[in-house]
Amino acid sequence: MNRTRREFLAGTAGAMALPLFAGSVFAQSGGSLRIGALNPVTGAGGPYGEGMQKMILAAAEAINAAGGAAGSKIEIFAEDTQTDPQAAVLAAKKLIEVNKVEAVLGTWSSGISLAVIPLTNDAGKILMHTSGAPALSVPPANEKGLGYRFQATNDRFGRAFAEIAEKEGFKRPATMAFNNASGIGNTEGFKKAWTAKGGEVVSEVVYEPKQASYRSELMQILAAQPDVIVTGSYVGDTTIILREWYQTGQPVKWIIPGWAANSDLVAALGADVVEGIISVDSISNEKAPSFAAYDKAYQAAMGKPGTDNVYAAMTWDMMTVLALAVEAAGSTDMAKVNEKMRDVANPEGTKVYTFAEGKEALKSGPINYEGASSVLDFDEHGDVTPDFSASFVEDGKINRRYVVKI
Amino acid sequence: MLSYLLAIAIITLIYLLLSFGLSLQYGSVGLINFGHVGFFAIGAYTSALLALSGVPLFASFCAAALAAGLTAWPIGLISLRLRDDYFAIVTLGFSETVRIIIVSEKWLTNGVQGVPGIPRLFSSLPVGFEAQLATAGLLLAVCTLAALAMWRIIKSPFGRIIQAIRDNEDALKALGKDPARFKIQVLMLSSALAGLAGAFYAHYITFIIPEQFVPLVTFYVWMAIIIGGVGRISGAIVGTVLLMVFLEGSRFLRDFIPGVTEVEMASLRIGVIGLLLILFTLYRPQGIMGDYTKR
Repeated sequence: MNRTRREFLAGTAGAMALPLFAGSVFAQSGGSLRIGALNPVTGAGGPYGEGMQKMILAAAEAINAAGGAAGSKIEIFAEDTQTDPQAAVLAAKKLIEVNKVEAVLGTWSSGISLAVIPLTNDAGKILMHTSGAPALSVPPANEKGLGYRFQATNDRFGRAFAEIAEKEGFKRPATMAFNNASGIGNTEGFKKAWTAKGGEVVSEVVYEPKQASYRSELMQILAAQPDVIVTGSYVGDTTIILREWYQTGQPVKWIIPGWAANSDLVAALGADVVEGIISVDSISNEKAPSFAAYDKAYQAAMGKPGTDNVYAAMTWDMMTVLALAVEAAGSTDMAKVNEKMRDVANPEGTKVYTFAEGKEALKSGPINYEGASSVLDFDEHGDVTPDFSASFVEDGKINRRYVVKI
Repeated sequence: MLSYLLAIAIITLIYLLLSFGLSLQYGSVGLINFGHVGFFAIGAYTSALLALSGVPLFASFCAAALAAGLTAWPIGLISLRLRDDYFAIVTLGFSETVRIIIVSEKWLTNGVQGVPGIPRLFSSLPVGFEAQLATAGLLLAVCTLAALAMWRIIKSPFGRIIQAIRDNEDALKALGKDPARFKIQVLMLSSALAGLAGAFYAHYITFIIPEQFVPLVTFYVWMAIIIGGVGRISGAIVGTVLLMVFLEGSRFLRDFIPGVTEVEMASLRIGVIGLLLILFTLYRPQGIMGDYTKR
C-alpha cells in the first residue's frame, strides 16, 4: 500500500511539473516495456531463428543493466513463427492481445512479415523485420510507417550483384532463381540494375524447389553461352546445380548469395568444384564497437562467432535502437517512439554504439546509433542500406576481396 | 486476451468447414481425398482476387464456393472410376498442381510474392474486436448451416445411398443406382465448403501466398477427423477443436514446463500428435465420437 501511495505522490508531482517530465516520472515508478520476439525458430528459418531470439534477449538484458529505457525495464515475450504465415499470425495475435507487447521484433521471411504487419498496424505497434520483399516498404503494408526493415531489400541485393558483375568485367550474365519471393527478388533486382547499366541478360530460368536434378534448367542456361550465372538460391539446390554444372565441363563463373555460397557448400562439393565462385552477402558493420558488443553476446549465447548469423546482428540492433528511441521519447507510447526512430538512428548527432552510451549521450544532444548489422540509417520507407561484400572461393576458403557500397 | 481467443476460434471454425467436407467424403462415401487443400486454395485465391478487383465480398464468397465446387466436377469425372487408393494419389497430385499453377501464373496471382492487402470482412466496423466478433459470428452461422445441411443429407434418402456406396458399392450397382454420380455430388459439395473456408481464410489473414496451401493443411484436417471420429458431425467438431486447442495451447504449455526451448517444443508438438494418431488407430479406430457399439 505504501508503495502505491508513493507512486501516486510521484505521479502527482510529475503531473504538476512540466508535461514533458510527467511521462518519465510515471515510467520510472517501475513499469515495464513489453516487447515481442517473433522469430523463425523452426521451419525454413530454423538455422537463424534461435540466434535471433537469443540476441533480442541479450540486448534487452544489456538495456536493463543500463537502467532500462525511459525508466522502464524491458520484458521479452518470445514466440516461434514456425516460418509459417498462419502460425505467425496467431503468435502475433497472442503477443499483441495477451502479452500486450508494444513492438514485435524479428520476423524473418517476407511471407511472414507481410502477414503480420496488418496486425501490428491495426494495434499501432511497431514491427521490425528482416525480410527482403519490396512490398514491405510501401502502402498498404507500411501505410502507417510503423514497419522497419533491417535487411537489404532483394532489390538492393540485385544491385550489388550487378555492381560486382560489372567490376569483374562480365558481359553475358544469365540468371537462375529458386521459385520464391526471395530467390526471384534477387535475380529480378539484378536484371533491373544490369539493364539500367545498358547490359543484357542472355538467359533466365526459375526453378522449382526440392528437385533431385536441375540438369534441364542448367542446360537451358548454358546453351545461351553466358560468362557468368547469377543465382537467387539456397544451399541445397545450389549444391545440386553446381555438381551438375561441373560434370558438363563448360567454363562459367558464378555469383551466388552468401546464404547459399558458404562453408557448407564448399564442404559438400570439395574445393575443386567451387573454385572461383563469388559469394555476395550483406555485411555486418564488423569494424564498429557495436558489432564487438554483439559478437560477445552471440559467443556467450550460441558458442559461435557473431559473423555466423547476420540476422542475429539485426535483431540485436532492433532491440537496441528501439530502446534508444523510447529513451529519446521519454515515453513508451509507440506513436511518440516511432517519431524518434530516425532521430536516434540516422546521422546528425553523436555516434554511439551501445544502449548505455546512447542513453548517456542523449542527455546532452542528438545521437546517431551505428548498428552491429549496418550503420543503420533508415530511409523514408524505414529501410536500411547495408554494405555488401564480394568474396571469392580460393582453395576451399572463402576470402573477402572487396566491399561494395550501393 | 478475448481478441486472441476469437482469432483461435476463427481459425478453428475455418478448419471445421474443411473437416465437414472431408468427413462427409470419407465417412459417407468412402472417398480418400488427400487434396482437400487444393479446393481451399482455389476458394482463397478466387475470393481474394475478385474482392481486390472491386467485387462485393458477398459475391466473391459465393464465387469462391462455386469455383471450388465446379473444379471438383472434372476431377470427379476423371478419377472416380479409380479405386480408393488411386483416388487419394490423384487428389494429392491435384492439390500440388493447383499450388504450382498459383506459383506460375504470376499475371493473375502474383506468384510466390503472394497477394497482400485483401479486404477484411466487416471493414465498416472498427478494426479489431468488433470486426473479429462479427467474422466469428458469421463463420459460426455458416458452420451451423453446414452442419445442419450435412445432418439433413445423412438422414435423407440421398444420405442412405451414399452410405451404401461406402459399405458395398457393387450391391448398390446391382440395385440400379449409379454410384459415380453420387460420389461426384458429394465431392462437389464438400469442395464448395472448402472453397468457402478458403475465402474466409483469405479475408481473415488478409495475405495469401502459395506456401500456405501445402498438403500439411489437408493432413491436419485428416488428423482432426480421425481423432474425432469419421463420418460424424460431432466427430469433426470435437476433432478439429481438440487439434486446434492443442496446437495453439502448446504455446502456453511452454510457459509452465521449464527447460523446454521453442525448438524442442515444435518437435514435441508434432510428436505428440503422431503418437495420438497411432494410439487412436490402434485402440479407438472409430474416434472419440465414433460409434461405441462397434469396434
